[in-house]
Order: sequence, then C-alpha cells, then structure tokens
Amino acid sequence: MYLVAHIDQAICSETACRLCTQYCPEANTILYDNAAKTAFVAVDRCKGCEICVGICDDLAKHKAIKMIMITDLKSPFELSKEGFRPEKWDGTHP
Amino acid sequence: MSVKNISITPGWEKYMTKEYLDLVERGPYGKQKKVSEMGSFKEVLEEHPMCAGCAMTLFIRLTMVGLPNPEHTVLIGTAGCGRLALTQTSIPFIYGNYGDTNAVASGLKRGLEVRFKDQAKDVVVMAGDGGLADIGFSAVMHSWFRKERFTTIMLDNEVYGNTGGQESGMTERGALLKMAPKGKMFEKMDMIGLAQTSGVAYIARLTPTNPTRVASVVRKAVMIAREVGPTFIQAYTSCNIEYAIPTPKVLDDARDIEAKRYGFMEIISDEAKAYLDSIDTAKKAKK
Ligand SMILES: Cc1ncc(C[n+]2csc(CCOP(=O)(O)OP(=O)(O)O)c2C)c(N)n1
Ligand code: SF4
Ligand code: SF4
Ligand code: SF4
Repeated sequence: MYLVAHIDQAICSETACRLCTQYCPEANTILYDNAAKTAFVAVDRCKGCEICVGICDDLAKHKAIKMIMITDLKSPFELSKEGFRPEKWDGTHP
Repeated sequence: MSVKNISITPGWEKYMTKEYLDLVERGPYGKQKKVSEMGSFKEVLEEHPMCAGCAMTLFIRLTMVGLPNPEHTVLIGTAGCGRLALTQTSIPFIYGNYGDTNAVASGLKRGLEVRFKDQAKDVVVMAGDGGLADIGFSAVMHSWFRKERFTTIMLDNEVYGNTGGQESGMTERGALLKMAPKGKMFEKMDMIGLAQTSGVAYIARLTPTNPTRVASVVRKAVMIAREVGPTFIQAYTSCNIEYAIPTPKVLDDARDIEAKRYGFMEIISDEAKAYLDSIDTAKKAKK
C-alpha cells in the first residue's frame, strides 16, 4: 500500500495553472485535461514524492492536491492502460 | 520534416506499442514544445527507475523539453544515476565508459558533420559531477580546448550518488557523506572558471527551480554548440538519498542552495551572442 497524489478537480479547474505539471519529476504523470480544464494524475507513474503538493499549496496557493492511499481510488487512471490520448479525456477521471 | 524520422510505415501501426504511436502522433518531434504545454503532449522520456522526488530526474525531464530538435539529437552519458532515465528516452543514447564521454562526443560530432552535411545533428553529453569533473576531467577539458561543437551538461548532485555516497571534486568542503565521514577536506572545484579559461562559448549555472529557464538555457546551449563552439551547463540536481533530503523538501532545498551559493549565472561569448541575435532576427522576419 502506498500514497499517490490526487487532484481535487473542482478546485483545480478554477484556475488550472499547470504549475504542478512542470515540477513533477516524472514525465507524463500529471496530465492536463483540456475539456474539463483540470490537471489529473496517472497513478501508475506517480512515485509519491509529494513535490506537487508543495507546488500547489505554496507556489500556486490552491491546495488542490492531497496524498491518498492508492486503494482508495475508485477508478485510477493508468497511462500504461489508456495511452496518451488527450482527445478521450473528458473530465471523468476519479 | 523531421517527424519522418520516426513515423511508422503504413500498415505497421498495429504492431507498434501504444507508447510509440503516442510519440509519433502526440510527441514533440518537428514541433518545438513549451514548458507551459507540459501535460498536454507525449514526452520523449518514459518511465525509469530513478528515485522518487530526485531533482536530477526533474532536470532531465525539463532538458528533454528544451532540446531544439530531439529528432536530430544524440545523447551521451555514462555510469551514474542520470543514465537510468537518459536510456529511457526516445533519443539515441550512447553509454560512454565512465570518463570518456567527451572524447566519444568529439568523435561522434565530427563524424555526424561529415555524414550529414545538410542536416545539423546535436550532440549532448549528460553525466554526473563524478563522471565529468573527476574521472572524465581530462576528456572534458580537452574537448573544450579543441573547441568541439557539442553541449556538456553536468548533473551536479555534489556526490557519487549511484555508488552510495563518495565525495566528488564538486562536493562542498566540509560536507559529511557516508564515504566521507570526516567531511570533505577540499574546496568544490570551480568548473565554471575552468570553462571560462578554456574558451567555452556559453556557460550556465542553474538549479531546477525555474522550469522555463531550464528549457531556455538548454535550447541556447544546444543552438550555440551547433554553430559556434563548446557549451557547458552546470546544474544543481540534489541527491535526496545521500543528502537525506525528505522528498517534499527537494525544491525548498534547491531554492535555498540557489539563494546561498548556486545562483543563476550565464556567461556568453560575443560570437555566441551575435549568433543568438541572428536567430531572433530571422524568427521575427519570418513572422
Ligand atoms: C571506470 C569506472 N570506474 C568506476 C565505476 C563505478 N561507478 C559507477 S557510477 C559511479 C559514480 C557516479 O557518480 P557521478 O558521476 O557523480 O553520478 P551520480 O551517480 O552522482 O549521478 C561510479 C564510480 C565505473 N562504472 N567505471
Ligand atoms: S498546481 Fe494545483 S491548481 Fe495548479 S494545475 Fe496543479 S493541481 Fe491544479
Ligand atoms: S507525488 Fe511526485 S511523482 Fe506523484 S504526481 Fe506528485 S510530483 Fe509527480
Ligand atoms: S541516488 Fe540520489 S541522484 Fe541517484 S536517483 Fe536517487 S536521489 Fe537521484
């Protein structure tokens, strides 16, 4: 069991500043959904470092990211399963 | 033009992996992507085994976004942590022996210039402080003295991270490490000064606290190396394992070190400056 980053889309979509995406050390892990104007996490790539939490809390000042148990995610988005297909991202990530 | 290099022969799409298809259709080839677009395009870097929260990982990721033409780039690395990620990019990678990266890069760049007369090929060395300032030191210096046209990027975590914490020439005096239990007894090497003395055309020192700046510095360094002469980037990319930095604090540490002793610094020759200006003028004229 381990913690992964989880983005509250209601908070994020108010600004969708994209700062966390630029500071996550892992490539294509925090993705951006154009339709829902929100960032979301590909959990299979998240290493749980919490850097994004500090970025959203202190730099963006939005407090939209929390670390949660991976087992608490209802339908986690996994990039290795879904592929990088932005045209399919429609705000339905958990 | 250049996306042709990786495009799939019609009919073969169904045999290619998802990752490859995504890269061809939604990757940065042939289009210069911006840092602000990250999360909206398929990056050339795939999953890799570097530690969680490693600043070096972040720096490598940003470097890949900064490369002006990933499709015409060859990366050279060596033993050390960085190659764990560098080998997972869709950019040709040469694993130099520990110490000979800049000798390999010199030969490669010259060879590419002979082979591809009409197409600029960029050669970029990315290796650790141990690899470049200690064991690879003479090859680095001689590539600069000979004015070899490629970029050297030092991933300066101020320690031998991959082998468990020995001091390097780039470790700060007094730093306590597993394999330097009494503290390092000598000063950090002045590689920036050495680069200046040997006539490197563009020198930059930075940390990953400003992603847009990282990409822009990499772009400048690679462009200048294409036409003018050797370029050098020295980047503070902390090892959170050997320096015991909790991962949520990695960027706080980078900001702190940046403020104290690793501030952003750029040294550019007149010739290199004139070349960058000519690129800007040409771009504006196109618009
Ligand atoms: C000729 C040679 N000597 C020693 C080694 C063992 N070795 C592998 S990685 C490494 C240290 C890497 O340190 P650095 O270059 O600073 O990179 P980092 O791992 O810190 O990123 C060493 C000594 C080797 N691979 N080849
Ligand atoms: S930093 Fe916070 S508000 Fe900005 S895109 Fe990321 S999650 Fe959304
Ligand atoms: S916890 Fe770390 S790896 Fe996971 S999304 Fe946040 S910054 Fe990226
Ligand atoms: S050992 Fe240090 S430098 Fe190497 S991947 Fe881990 S944190 Fe990064």
